[in-house]
Amino acid sequence: MRRVLLTFLVLAIAAVVATTAAQARPHRTAAGPSGNVVLSGWASSGSEFDFLTNVVQDFEKKYPNIHVTYQPINGNYPQAMLARFASHTPPDVFYVDSSVAPDWMAAGVLQPLNSYFSKFHFSTKPFFPRLLSGFTYKGQVYGLPKDWSPLAMEINTSMLQKAGVGVPTTWPALIAAAKRMQVTNAVPGGAPICLSADWARLLPFVYQAGGSFLNKAGTAPVLNTPAAKKAINFYVGLATSGLARTPDQLGSGWCGEALGKQKAAIIFEGNWALPYMHDTFPTVSYATYAMPHGRARGDLGFTTSYSMAKDSKNKAAAWTLLSYLTGAQGMKKWTDQGLALPSRSDVPPAAGRSVLIKEAPYSRAWSFFPGFSDVYTVMNNDLTAVFQGKKDVQGMINDIQAATVKALKK
Amino acid sequence: MTAIEPESFGPPAAAIDNLVTGNVDGGGPSRGAIPGRARSERAIRVGAYAAMTAISLLFFIPFLWTVSTSLKTLPETAYFSLLPNHWSLQAYHDVWTKYDFARYIENSAGLSVAITLITLVVAGLGGYAFARLRFPGREILFFGVLATLMVPDQLRLVPVYEMLVKWHLINTYTGYVLIKLGLATSLFLMRQYFLTIPKDLEEAAKLDGAGYFKTFWRVMLPLAGPALAAVTILEFQGAWNDFFWASLLLQTPDHYTVQLGLAQFVFQYHTEWPKLMAASVIAILPIVAVYLVFQRYFVAGVASAGVKG
Amino acid sequence: MSAEAYRVRGGRPGRAREALVGYAFVLAPMAVFGVFFLFPIGYAIYISRYNWGVYGSQGSVGWHNYGWVLHDPIFWRSMRNIGEYTAWVVPAQMALGLFMAVIVNQKIKARTFFRSAFYFPSIASSAAITTIAIFILNADGLLNKALSLVGYDHHTPWFYTTTTAMPTIAGLNAWTTSGTMMLFYLASLQAIPNDVYEAAAIDGAGRWRTFWKVTFPLLKPGHFFVAVVSILGAVKLYDQAFIVSGGTGGPDYATLTPVLLLVQEAVQNIRFGYAAAMGVILLAFMVVLTLAQRLLFGRSEAA
Repeated sequence: MRRVLLTFLVLAIAAVVATTAAQARPHRTAAGPSGNVVLSGWASSGSEFDFLTNVVQDFEKKYPNIHVTYQPINGNYPQAMLARFASHTPPDVFYVDSSVAPDWMAAGVLQPLNSYFSKFHFSTKPFFPRLLSGFTYKGQVYGLPKDWSPLAMEINTSMLQKAGVGVPTTWPALIAAAKRMQVTNAVPGGAPICLSADWARLLPFVYQAGGSFLNKAGTAPVLNTPAAKKAINFYVGLATSGLARTPDQLGSGWCGEALGKQKAAIIFEGNWALPYMHDTFPTVSYATYAMPHGRARGDLGFTTSYSMAKDSKNKAAAWTLLSYLTGAQGMKKWTDQGLALPSRSDVPPAAGRSVLIKEAPYSRAWSFFPGFSDVYTVMNNDLTAVFQGKKDVQGMINDIQAATVKALKK
Repeated sequence: MTAIEPESFGPPAAAIDNLVTGNVDGGGPSRGAIPGRARSERAIRVGAYAAMTAISLLFFIPFLWTVSTSLKTLPETAYFSLLPNHWSLQAYHDVWTKYDFARYIENSAGLSVAITLITLVVAGLGGYAFARLRFPGREILFFGVLATLMVPDQLRLVPVYEMLVKWHLINTYTGYVLIKLGLATSLFLMRQYFLTIPKDLEEAAKLDGAGYFKTFWRVMLPLAGPALAAVTILEFQGAWNDFFWASLLLQTPDHYTVQLGLAQFVFQYHTEWPKLMAASVIAILPIVAVYLVFQRYFVAGVASAGVKG
Repeated sequence: MSAEAYRVRGGRPGRAREALVGYAFVLAPMAVFGVFFLFPIGYAIYISRYNWGVYGSQGSVGWHNYGWVLHDPIFWRSMRNIGEYTAWVVPAQMALGLFMAVIVNQKIKARTFFRSAFYFPSIASSAAITTIAIFILNADGLLNKALSLVGYDHHTPWFYTTTTAMPTIAGLNAWTTSGTMMLFYLASLQAIPNDVYEAAAIDGAGRWRTFWKVTFPLLKPGHFFVAVVSILGAVKLYDQAFIVSGGTGGPDYATLTPVLLLVQEAVQNIRFGYAAAMGVILLAFMVVLTLAQRLLFGRSEAA
C-alpha cells in the first residue's frame, strides 16, 4: 500500500513539474497570434463545405502560425452548440443564425467584440447596419455578419411567357399574373404561386403594406393594425383562393423544390435557391426579380454571423480568423461564386446577384428578441391553421400578440 | 403444433401446416382426404403464401427504395421513379472516398459491441438474480430498474450532461458507453426468460456443488440463448442507430459514429439523396448481419427450449 | 464457495448467502439505475426550481415553473396529442406484433425469410425511416399514386394536414416497431410448453379456439411487457415528430408532443429549469399511467 502511495506521489510531482515547465516555455513571439483555432458552422450545401475549406486554406497561407480546424456540425445545430457551450468546449469561431442570436447573446456564451474593434482598428462601418443590428445587444456587438440574403421573387420564365404576362411588380399585378396563369393552365398539375405557411415569408408583405411586427422601440407587437391585417389577408387570400398552394400540397419540401419540379411558377425565396436550382434542377429556366411592392417596399434579411466563444482558449488567434473571414478580402473570396451575398457594402456581389443586393436598403433583419422562437412557433402553427381553414386571421393575430407580450416580459 | 387441427385456424396457418406435413407438391391427399377439398386447400395455400410474400415486400419497400435512390443522380431524385434512369455508382464512390466512413463504422462498431457485451453480462446476471435469487427488496429494486423505461432521455439530458462534464467524459467513448447503458428492457427480457426455465436443472447443478455464479454461467446462461439473442439484436441496433446522445457527446469528427456521418448529407434546403442513401445502405449492412446471425441462434435456442419438458 | 451452504437451502446461512449473492449480481444494474436515472431525476427536480441557463442557475423561482407549465395551453395541447397518438399506436403495435409472431412461430417454409422481412423496418434508424416515409407519403408520393389507382385521387400530404399528421406518424411507427414487438411476443410464445397445445388438441379444440382460449391467455406476461414498452415508448415520441415538422410541432400543433415541447424550451429558449419542470410533470404522468396499468393487468404478472 505504501509503495502504491509513493509511486502515486512521484507521478503526481512529475506531472506538476512537467506542466509548469510546459507553461514556462516562452511562446513564439515572431508575428502575432499563433496556435490552433476550431471553426464550426452548419453546411447549407455540399459546396459550402468545399468553399469554406478553400477560404480557410487561404487564411492559413496568410497566417502560417495559426492552424485552423474546420469542423462543420451536422444535425440540430443549436442543440449541438448548447452542449458545447455547457461543457466549456465550444469551437473558437462559429456561425450564429440571426434568429437565435438574441438568445445566445443574452445567455452570455458569446464574446463581445467591441474591445477588439478599437484595439485592432477594425471598422464595422462597411457592414449593412440592419444586418449588424441583429448581432448587437445592449450596445455590444457579438458577431459580424458573414453573408446574408433577402427574399426575392423567382419566376419560371417559360411559364410566364406561356401565360403572356409581364413580371409583376405590385400586389395587384401579382394577382393578375397568377390568375392569367391559372386561366392559361401555364402550370399544369400545380399552382401559379408557391407560398409557405411561414411568417418568415409573410412578414415582408407586412412591411410592404407599411406595417410592422414590433413597434420602433421593439417593446410591443403591432400586428393588430389595418396595414398589417391588409398584408396578412392578402397573403392568406392567395392561398385560400387557390392562386397559391403550400409546398406540401405541391409534393415538395419547400418552395424551391416546387419551382424546380415545375409545380409552381412564382416563389419567394432567397439566394439559397440559386445554387440549389443549379445543382438539382439544371434544366429549369427561371429568373430572379425584386419582391413586389405594396404601399412601400419591404423585405426580410436573413443573416448569419461569425462569432467568438466566450470560452475560447485562443482568443487572439480566433479574432485574427474572425476578422479575416468578415473582412473585405475574406468575404470577397467567400462570396465570389455566388453561394452567398456579401454583407459588406464594399464587397461587390457575384454576377447575377445585383437584384438581391438592391433589396438591402428595404430589408430588416430576421432577428427580434430573446425567446422569439416561442412566438415563431405560435406564428407558424396558427398560420397553417388559417391556411387549412381551422382558424381566422383575427384569432391568429390575437394569439401572436399575446405570445409576443408574454415573451417580451421574460 | 402439428397435432392441432389445421382447418379451423384460418387459411394461412392451414396452408402452412400442410406444407409441414409434406403436402407441398399437392401430390398426396390432404388429411381431409376429400378429393375436391384438396384442390381448394391448395388454392388457399398458394393464396396465403402470395399474401405473405406481398406483405414482406411491403416491409422491404423502404430498403428497396433506399438502394434504388442510391443508384440515381441528384437531379433524378426530384422526380418519382421506382428505378434509376441512369444507373450510377458515383454516390458510393463519393461516400467512400470523400468522407471518412471507414472511421465512423469503426467507431460505431466498437461502441455498439462494447455496449452490447456489457449489457449481456450485466443484464444476464441481474436478470438471473431477479428471477431466481431471493433477497429483501428484490421487487422494489426490480420495479426501480423497470421504471427507468419511463424516463425520457430528454429529461435526463441536462443533469447527465453536467455530470459527464464534471467527470471529463464529454467527447469520450467511455462517457458514451456509460450513458447508453439503459438496461431496463434487456434486464426484463432476461428475467422473464429465466423465469420460464424449470428449476430442476439448476437444483441438479447445485447438488453437484456448483456455486451461484457457476450455476448461472454453466447452466442457466446456455439455456437462455433466445433471450440473449434478442438482447444482442436490440442493444446492438439501439446503439448503432442512436443519433441523440451521439450528437451531444461525440463532438469531434474522429469520434463520429455512422449516424453522425449520415447527417452530413442533409442540408437546410436540400438533401444529397444519392449519397445519403448510399451511405445508409453501407450503414445498415452491419445491423443486417448481426440480425441474420443472431436470429439463427434465436431459432436454435427455441429448439432447445422446446425439449425442456 | 463451499457446497454445504447450498445443502441447507432455506436455512438461515443459505438464505443470507443467497441474498448477498443476489445483491452482488444486481449491483451493476442498480449502479446504472442510481447514477444515470435516479440521480438525474433528483437533479432535474432541483433545477426545475431555478431559472437555469447554459452555465447553471440564474436565480431561484420556487415552484413557479410548474405553475407556468400547467397553465400553458400549448402544453395541454401536446398532452392531448400524445394521448391520441398512444390510443392509435399501442393497439396497432400489439396486434401487428402478435399477428406476425404467431405467423413466424409456425413451422412454415421460408420462415426465416418471413421473420427477417417482418423485422426489417425495425432495423433502420427512426431518422432514416422517417425521411424515406416523408418521400413516400408526400402529395405525389408512392402512397397517393397507389391510392389514385383505386380511385382515391386526393393527393393528401399525409404528414402536413392537421387531421392526418398524427395518425400517419402512428401508422408509420406501428409498422416500424411491430418487428420488435414480434420479437417480444415470439419469446413469450416459445415459453409456452408444447404439452399445453397437445392437451388442447386432445380436447378437440380447433386452431382458432386454441389460440384464443389457450395461447392468448398464456401470453399474459407478454401482453403486459409489450403494452408497457409500447405505451412508454409512445409517450416519449420525439424523433418522428421532430423530423416531420422540422421541430415546430406543426401543422397547427398537430404533431407537437410533450418531449418535443420540452426540447424546444431547452434548446431554443435555453430555459433548462422550465424544461425540467415539464419533464418532471411528464414523468409523474407516466408513473401514474404505469401504476394504473399494473393494477389493470394484475400484480402477479410483473412479479
